[in-house]
Amino acid sequence: MITDANSLHRQLEAMRPQLVRFAQLQLRNDALAEDAVQDALIAVLEKPERFAGQSSLRTYVTGILKFKIIDNLRVATRERQIDSAEDQSEDEAIDALFLADGHTVEQPRAWGNPDGTLEQKDFFRVLEVCLEKLPAQTARIFMMREWLELDTDEICKELAITSANAWVMLYRARIRLRECLDLNWFGAPAPRSMGTL
Amino acid sequence: MSGLKPTCKEVHRLVSEGMDRQLSLVERTRMRLHLAVCEACTRFNGQMDLLRRAMRQGPPDDKAP
Repeated sequence: MITDANSLHRQLEAMRPQLVRFAQLQLRNDALAEDAVQDALIAVLEKPERFAGQSSLRTYVTGILKFKIIDNLRVATRERQIDSAEDQSEDEAIDALFLADGHTVEQPRAWGNPDGTLEQKDFFRVLEVCLEKLPAQTARIFMMREWLELDTDEICKELAITSANAWVMLYRARIRLRECLDLNWFGAPAPRSMGTL
Repeated sequence: MSGLKPTCKEVHRLVSEGMDRQLSLVERTRMRLHLAVCEACTRFNGQMDLLRRAMRQGPPDDKAP
């Protein structure tokens, strides 16, 4: 509950580092990322009454930030080329999951009750590190799809790629994230430490 | 379409693509029939579901002190 301007300010500042990291995953440019976050935080501070009664400060700020990032995507992606060397090793990584007859080499792990998982903040910390470990282009497109919630057409337009490219890259991103989470969250037998990352 | 029955490799890909585009009726049917009998792909589907929910939902809110 926001009781005063100082409290709001402090809460927003506490969120800043994580918001900057998320912005960086998409904009790949520190200055742009920091500006986007700064703009979002200022937008909240200038009109604090707009937030009143909404579900959560984080959700509200994140929503504003997403729009700022979308606005800045055009600037950030102009000089970026898709790195096709990255592509080949990714395809091999996917192929390696399957036997010649098309079955999976290993049974995917049972991840248990999703609701329980999503209630744990530590899970999201691990997810964030997994996102940061993605190759640059893969991270960007995944964030555009799953965090900014752009659709395929919008993504293809922004990145100047075909739909087929986009779908393959998203598939690769998901496979990688699945493996990272498997290793660092669902697979760990004892209390989690970030040491394995 | 590769054969009479889709493989796990094909269905894994369809599960992912189904998150980004509308699958055709044929694709959707092949995928669903395979999922009904395949634990591996069903688990993968669940994993993808969780991943999407996690990204869209974000972490649980801090409890107010």
